[in-house]
Amino acid sequence: MQNVIERILNLLAFLLTVDRPVTADDIRHTVAGYARESDTAFHRTFERDKDLLRHLGIPIEREATDLFEVEFGYVVHDDRYALEDPDLTDEERTALALAVQAVGFGGRPSGQEALMKLGGAVGSLDGTELGADLGEQAEAVVTAFAAVSERRLLSFRYRGRERRAQPYGLVHRRGHWYLVAADAGSDDIKVYRLDRAHELTPGERPGAFTTPDGFDPAGAVLDHPWDAGRDPTVASVVFDEPVAWIAERELGPNAAIDRRADGSIKATVEIAAPSAFLGWLIGFEADAEIIDPPELRHSYLSLVGEG
Amino acid sequence: MTNSPKTASRINRLLAMLPWVIANPGAPVDEVCERFGYTRTDLVTDLNTVFVCGLPGYGPGDLMDASIDDDEVVVEMAEYFARPLRLTAPEALGILASGKAVQSSGSGGPALDRAIVKLEQILLPDGAEAVVVDLPEPSLAGDLRRASKGGEVVRIDHTSIASGERKVREIEPWSVFSTLGNWYVSGHCRTADAERVFRIDRIRAVVPTGEQFDARPASYQPAVRYTPSDEDARAIIRLEDSARWVAEYYPVDVLDDAVDGMTIRMSVGDPAVAARLLVRLGDTAKLVEGPEVALATAGLRDRILARYAGHT
Repeated sequence: MQNVIERILNLLAFLLTVDRPVTADDIRHTVAGYARESDTAFHRTFERDKDLLRHLGIPIEREATDLFEVEFGYVVHDDRYALEDPDLTDEERTALALAVQAVGFGGRPSGQEALMKLGGAVGSLDGTELGADLGEQAEAVVTAFAAVSERRLLSFRYRGRERRAQPYGLVHRRGHWYLVAADAGSDDIKVYRLDRAHELTPGERPGAFTTPDGFDPAGAVLDHPWDAGRDPTVASVVFDEPVAWIAERELGPNAAIDRRADGSIKATVEIAAPSAFLGWLIGFEADAEIIDPPELRHSYLSLVGEG
Repeated sequence: MTNSPKTASRINRLLAMLPWVIANPGAPVDEVCERFGYTRTDLVTDLNTVFVCGLPGYGPGDLMDASIDDDEVVVEMAEYFARPLRLTAPEALGILASGKAVQSSGSGGPALDRAIVKLEQILLPDGAEAVVVDLPEPSLAGDLRRASKGGEVVRIDHTSIASGERKVREIEPWSVFSTLGNWYVSGHCRTADAERVFRIDRIRAVVPTGEQFDARPASYQPAVRYTPSDEDARAIIRLEDSARWVAEYYPVDVLDDAVDGMTIRMSVGDPAVAARLLVRLGDTAKLVEGPEVALATAGLRDRILARYAGHT
């Protein structure tokens, strides 16, 4: 491992200072650590070293060494290599370190390497246990994040259809990552659950679009599954005392609550997707009853009576 | 031989440590170790490696200078490593989402708020608020966390999601945590005399008892698990095409998967869970096998219909 680390540091030092594309052959005869290898061994070693550097996020690019594009070499552009300094104070680094310690992704923390690149943290960090888990850092989420941060178009499959979208933002809500994006053709804002998106492919060009001023991705993700749809109807439902507090919490601030003497409530709420709402209502079993509108009451009874 | 992940993480740490040490000459060894998670021995090893590397020529004027002098870390002749490497997408998402999760839960502070704004400025276009983590902490989480930290037994008024059963339980709260969007309290339930996990949004009230409990087991790791057991009810369900989401949403075995639908086997601790699902799915699902679930489903239909019959 020692030799590998020395060779890679030498390779990177050379690429960062040479300031022009250099061929594999140049590297072989210039950088310490490669000279003694046979042709095949050299190519294997060099490929591995390049992979490792790219995996660390070092942008090694392949470019022509001359105008006629006869020969190609490797180059690292300084502006794409370096992190822009966010100018954090030690207090801010410690706050980030505590957050990294408290939040997991599928049981593992994520962000320690980032924190080191930002200068590491000092101060007492012990005793913070994993407080929140945001689920596996799935490849789709990482790819979508990269597209959002670089403003690349994103192509993917969703519910059996090919999509092409301008990714405006990512929202984590109720345990899922959502992508908020404008349709590349129609500019309609759509929300996709990333665990159901497949084959995400970012476009070639960074900065391919601009996000509208003041766009709020969180506002595009619906609070309840029954909010999705056009032509909402207003429903009123009675919840008996034992479950009234649960219904009130889950309906949230947009429902009008009428408290009654026996501890029950009558909730009035807008429903855009009736089937999603009825599905939720079944969880309350016989402790809830739709009062209005009669059509919704009727749909519920035929759903329940279907056995 | 491939380059191991260990090699990668060593280089990553080196490329993070060097810029900081170059920007902060005279940094004490202890501070460098703390910031970058080094032991003194590992730091010495890495500095010795740096000392023998540099630019082609590899003579005394070409190699970097790295050493410990009077307990201070010295790195010179290494200007090309003076700037930290940019964050990869997983690293950037990890640190930003972690910060935003803590901020959203309400347990952050002004330093975290400032740090997030600064990170957004370098990681996102125009510093926009393009990444949102919505993880509001339920109001009772604070009471439960205080009880957990103080080692105090509490009584909770809890309604089970699965069965709808309401019970006042005495618990020793070991930990308050959130996973996949829900908040939980876990600990020893004295009422059940067993380790249990409760969803906080199904707790109506928390009452302190004033009684202290012995410390939780040192090896304890909070987690929400569902492990099928022999006592579970099992059901085989035929799903129409439009009900396929069930197989993604619940832990099930897929027995048969065709264009027009699929057949799944589900294992549930309480038949009521499968009964609610079946009623909800209406004519897009059929129970193929599972006597306990059949009974629970029929009972659920009858109870709901009876309630509605009372008013018409």
